[in-house]
Amino acid sequence: MIHTLAIVATLCLCATPALAQDPTAEEILAKIDGNMTFESRTSKTKMTVVNPRRTREFIMISFGRGEDHSAIEYTSPARDKGNKMLRKADEVWTYFPSVERTQKISGHMLRKGISGSDVSYEDMMSASDLRSAYKGKVIGKEEIEGRPAWKLELVATDDAVTYPKRTSWVDVATHIPVKQELYALSGMLIKTWEMKEIKEFEGGRHFPTKMIVSDKLQDGTYTTLEFLEMTFGVELEDEVFTLRWLERK
Amino acid sequence: MILLLRLAVRNARRNVVRTALTASTVALGTAVLTTALAWIGGVFGSIIETSANSVGHVRVVQPAYAAREDLFPLYENIANAREIVDTVSEIDGVTAAYPRIVSGVTVSAGDEIGEHFSLLYGADVAWFRERMDFDALMAAGTFFERPDDIVLGATIAERTGATVGGEVILLGQTQDGSISPLKGRVVGVVSAGTALMDQAAFVSLERMQYLADMDGGATEILVYAEHRDDAGELATRVAAEVGDLKAEAWSAREPWASLLSIVVVIRTTLAGFIVFITALGVWNTMMMSVMERTSEIGVLRAMGLTGRGTLFLFVSEALMIATLGGLLGVCIGGLGGAYLEIYGVSIGSDVTQNLSTDFPFQQTMYADMNLEVALTAFGLGMLMAVVGSALPSARAASIKPVEAMRTNR
Repeated sequence: MIHTLAIVATLCLCATPALAQDPTAEEILAKIDGNMTFESRTSKTKMTVVNPRRTREFIMISFGRGEDHSAIEYTSPARDKGNKMLRKADEVWTYFPSVERTQKISGHMLRKGISGSDVSYEDMMSASDLRSAYKGKVIGKEEIEGRPAWKLELVATDDAVTYPKRTSWVDVATHIPVKQELYALSGMLIKTWEMKEIKEFEGGRHFPTKMIVSDKLQDGTYTTLEFLEMTFGVELEDEVFTLRWLERK
Repeated sequence: MILLLRLAVRNARRNVVRTALTASTVALGTAVLTTALAWIGGVFGSIIETSANSVGHVRVVQPAYAAREDLFPLYENIANAREIVDTVSEIDGVTAAYPRIVSGVTVSAGDEIGEHFSLLYGADVAWFRERMDFDALMAAGTFFERPDDIVLGATIAERTGATVGGEVILLGQTQDGSISPLKGRVVGVVSAGTALMDQAAFVSLERMQYLADMDGGATEILVYAEHRDDAGELATRVAAEVGDLKAEAWSAREPWASLLSIVVVIRTTLAGFIVFITALGVWNTMMMSVMERTSEIGVLRAMGLTGRGTLFLFVSEALMIATLGGLLGVCIGGLGGAYLEIYGVSIGSDVTQNLSTDFPFQQTMYADMNLEVALTAFGLGMLMAVVGSALPSARAASIKPVEAMRTNR
């Protein structure tokens, strides 16, 4: 009996420092949000859309302010040059210079891929602040591409989120969710979202410069987002996030 | 034989009222049949002809497109459409082949965008003219003149408020699923009285290829034979030349395959019902005739008339009366059919606009009165007589001479 108690006590003593080092899911989500949310940002992005039939590349300039405002302008290919997209909170508009019309995206259209990609308008609208939308728990620690990562299971606390369940692998060193599996309420895997080539930016922020999104409801498709240029904390004019900017030539 | 025929004529003339009653029964049945067959032939014939023209006598597509065509999967397209057109055009029996793309779009003419859904057809100008008869259907304006010209169906033009000369915006998608807009000038409005045409929009193939981001491609190659009935054999020959692509005759595709079966069932059921009812009338009067002449039949049998001869005697009498009734019925029914062929029956635009676009129901449905209908109705009139007289004749043939002569009839 004394022998058994001694073993349990030894195990507890050994385990206590480890538990103390493991962050909670809440703490990990806070660090992710610290990396992934920003006051303002501009970027030049190459989006490569791959499906079994063909591969297409788009170059776009994007502007972001807080969680509620983002704007995108396509610069290539020629067919899409000048197309613009604006998000203000839960509303999304696109502008097509070829027909000089602004189209509000709503209803089932929100679930469609932007430019036929694996990234939907709903993805674009999703708030990047995970803490306000999800509760979770750390369910393990695994290696992703040779680097240790916390494995988190997240369940939405907000019914309005696009993906009610997520499994995320968060890089221990940088706190970037390097791999995410996004599920429907039924448990069906809808998308996978990988974040790669993490770089450190001003202020110690880590941010991925490459993302690979794959819509699992379609066969053999994936979309790569490569951030060719990215600057955080830039001053952006208010006009950028207006319908007037959208329709400006 | 001649003697029996003369006897049959004499018998028919002996009781004029009964003969007239029998002839009237056959005439009524034949008249109803003539008008009904002309009507069915006209209504379904029109639907089938328009359908076969609009979907191609034979259609060449990617097999995956055929499997999901309700969703218009633009990505399942034929990239080298012109090459396939050239290949099938060389096939014996092919009179024409056209590439085509069909997709869903929203149409808007004012500031509000994307309120009215429509099918958009993109095809060679020749297809619109030669197969869809656009020149005759043009209710306003003209046909395509410039690359950005758009022709609208009358209903969609009315709903969107689009007018000839005005601009409309079509919002569709590329083959990759990306939102794709198209702006153009409305140059014409077509009115065919069918949901298929009146709720659709039409552009040149090149414009449609741009919208769908499908340079040089098409989702379908529509192949035409001399006549739609040749489609089955032609489909086999086309399939042998197009590799992995799927070649199907219109008559083998749904919903038209089912429609053809339904038409056969409707025609057969209707004809069978009318023949049965009329045959009952003929049976009634012929049975009266046999019973009235039992004694006479006994004498004839005693004089050597065989059972087969007796059968022939009564069936001949019925056929003679049916010939008169049948001719009269075809004339009366033919007049009804001709009236419906000229004036038709309007079922109203509210009905046709809510029907499936798969079946191009006209607002006014016309009959098709022709010689085939008249001959079929007349032939069925003869069948009514044979069926109706069969039992009475058999009864007459089975009468024993001695027993018959004992009766007072």
